[in-house]
Amino acid sequence: MHNTIHIKAFGMVAERIGLAELVIDHSGNSSELLEVLLVKFPVLKSVKFSLAINKKLVSGNQEIPSGAEIALLPPFSGG
Amino acid sequence: MEKVRTPKNIFVQGPISPEKIAKSIANHSSNTVIGGHSIFLGQVRSDEKPEGKVIAIDYTAYEEMALEKAFEIREAIFAKYPLTCMHIYHSLGEVKVGELCLFVFTSSKHRKAAMQACDELVERIKEELPVWGKEILDTDNHVWKVNV
Repeated sequence: MHNTIHIKAFGMVAERIGLAELVIDHSGNSSELLEVLLVKFPVLKSVKFSLAINKKLVSGNQEIPSGAEIALLPPFSGG
Repeated sequence: MEKVRTPKNIFVQGPISPEKIAKSIANHSSNTVIGGHSIFLGQVRSDEKPEGKVIAIDYTAYEEMALEKAFEIREAIFAKYPLTCMHIYHSLGEVKVGELCLFVFTSSKHRKAAMQACDELVERIKEELPVWGKEILDTDNHVWKVNV
């Protein structure tokens, strides 16, 4: 059975894909998710961004737990 | 007993007023173990970009993650330096050039802890908090702020 994941997009990423939130089919891990996103939004190939799973930055490839909150985060520029 | 700290909201809608800063300083006069305060104020600069001149910055954040991260940074800085207190405020929404967007305030018995902690806090806030500045230009255009 397929479940879905909720993705939030911020800053330049949200602007480029034209969406602040989206729901897609669940991917097993963060590398698979990135592949799916780049196919769905080719514009992301030219934008620098990081992934967060449940509000923690992803380093390397990580499992995506079911019901996880994913976020697409361009480089931070607060202050 | 050790005081238990919980995540606080650091976000302020719009610019941080100089009155808020004055009031915050005044609020510490009753805490007489403090011997030194250190304050950093971030102000929106009218940068000249190839696309136009900056007239304001519109800040957005992944608020839930930013507050978790700010709490983690706060705890780490409290563990590293002998501070009496620490306050962090960051703007969301539009802040015009010349207005304040970041207020970091540390206090300790002696100056060095307050100064070093304040400096480290500002660096970590800029590097680790999921906050984004959209620089609004006088040409009806915008560019995304890049931290250096």
